[in-house]
Amino acid sequence: MPALEPIESWAEEAEAEFEGKKHLPPTTEVIANGLKIVTSYRFNDDDKLEKIVRSYKIERRKVSKAVAARKLWKKYGESANDKPGPNPSNTFAGEEVYMQFISGKEDSDKPDENPFEKLKEQKGLVKCRSCNGDHWTLHCPYKDMMTKLKPEEKLPPASGGASGEQKYVPPSLRDGGGKRGEMSSNLRHDALAIRISNLSPNTSDHDLEELVKPFGAINKLYLAKEKTTGQCRGFAYIHFKSKEDARIAINKLNGYGYDHLILKVDWSKPNTTT
Amino acid sequence: MITLIMYLHHFQKPILLHGHERALTQIKYNRDGDLLFSCAKDQTPNVWYSLNGERLGTFNGHCGAVWCIDVDWQTKHLISGAADNSLRLWDVSNGSEIGNLAVRSAVRTCAFNYSANMAVYTTDSTYGFACEIHIIDVRNADESFSKTSSILRMQVEGAKVTSTIWGPLDKTIITGHDDGTITQWDTTTGRIMNTIKEHKNAINDIQKNSDGTMFITASKDCTAKLFDVEDLSLLKTYTTERPVNSAAVSPIFDHVVVGGGQEAMEVTTTSTKAGKFDARFFHLIFEEEFARVKGHFGPINSLAFHPDGKSFSSGGEDGFVRIQSFDQSYFDYKFDY
Repeated sequence: MPALEPIESWAEEAEAEFEGKKHLPPTTEVIANGLKIVTSYRFNDDDKLEKIVRSYKIERRKVSKAVAARKLWKKYGESANDKPGPNPSNTFAGEEVYMQFISGKEDSDKPDENPFEKLKEQKGLVKCRSCNGDHWTLHCPYKDMMTKLKPEEKLPPASGGASGEQKYVPPSLRDGGGKRGEMSSNLRHDALAIRISNLSPNTSDHDLEELVKPFGAINKLYLAKEKTTGQCRGFAYIHFKSKEDARIAINKLNGYGYDHLILKVDWSKPNTTT
Repeated sequence: MITLIMYLHHFQKPILLHGHERALTQIKYNRDGDLLFSCAKDQTPNVWYSLNGERLGTFNGHCGAVWCIDVDWQTKHLISGAADNSLRLWDVSNGSEIGNLAVRSAVRTCAFNYSANMAVYTTDSTYGFACEIHIIDVRNADESFSKTSSILRMQVEGAKVTSTIWGPLDKTIITGHDDGTITQWDTTTGRIMNTIKEHKNAINDIQKNSDGTMFITASKDCTAKLFDVEDLSLLKTYTTERPVNSAAVSPIFDHVVVGGGQEAMEVTTTSTKAGKFDARFFHLIFEEEFARVKGHFGPINSLAFHPDGKSFSSGGEDGFVRIQSFDQSYFDYKFDY
């Protein structure tokens, strides 16, 4: 409300400045849009004029009669001369402080203990009698084979392992490995994997899953991503559970237009070449 | 050159009340929670609107550290006890002093009973006078207050009283003492009904929960303990590593807020970080700390929950009162068990 302010002549102002007097512009209060904006001025330590703008939100609340009556009380004591609203000299907003939640101690301890115990169990206690693997004999994947092999071969590697040096034996070499190797390569799903290339960089794991899901059950899904950006590097490997599904997927998806690019899909090449 | 400084008052931001020049001694909300009363080691109790931190007024008259205040259920009268050996009765609506009861030693604690017909105050054991508990009639709120004689006077043998509350139906008074004992007094006979000693060091504060069935003590032995108000059985213990100056029970959740820090004498010798001046939140039942709120740069001397449970206030040794509204995360928080 500048019209109501006493108008001071510029001459007086200039005179005051010339005499080195500090002249502060008057404090103004504007109430608009549910906000009360108080503008005041002060000199800081370097004698520079500072403009201080405080804005207060005006709220209306429904309260009980007693509370409403108390709100209308006149201020008293040292606050007797205060204007309505908080007096900035003794009420001010602090820095925002958030609650810091502390997660329970027990919760944080448990995950540490459990894996350790599990490891212990797996390493020491559980040992397959037929192949020395870290699993129960009952669950041995080579159970069928072992029962056949046992009477003929008398398990030379297994007995050797048990007697002395407990060296690590790669699974492919364990228990007359040659035959096993063939088996496992069949069991392994490399042959059922397909490679999709020419994917757009924006492809996500989820997109990929959506794309290949209709062709059948998937064992594993790998989308090559840029380490830093997390963007797709343009190719992916999908391991299907059945070869038939994989074949269908190749037929359908090869040359399929996906996200403005033509996909190239083929069997994944075994990395024997490297 | 003009520099622009913006102060935006949001209600989410903590509101700092700086009406005291010295350490706060006690803060209390009235029953509706719209007013917050504070007293400090300076001589003027203050009253504030709790919503925006606007100061309604000050109660001028005491000439010594004000140790305790209490407001009646209608927010008509305020009593305050001070180290100037006086208990004063004030009119909250205009801040005028109704009466001034001269006592022989400093008034350490005071409390209205539920109906505000009576009040209890206790005196310090100084100047050769023993610590005494007085119950007075405050129905005649006029000048005659200054000449009121006590209805009941109970002399305390042993350690002095440091905090006082009224028990259920105003039949008992429960006092916490300087040596950690808690005593339950019969208000009709003035006899001791029960005495327990669960704390190893001085009790600094006693507060009831919202329905008055339990009370929580804050002790210098670094614990806050929850007791049954009838038989004084120990229910829960909340352990910290610093002396506890004040503790309060949330009116809406099973939460307890505990505040403290090292003693005023030792404050200057330690940094703020090491001081642990946070308000700490414990689960009422599981006795486990789940959250902290920092803010003060001195120990917290007094804590109070707003009666609606949505904010709380703390008064510190640093002379500030902080009104802290809970953010949404507090209401969303579920304690895992």
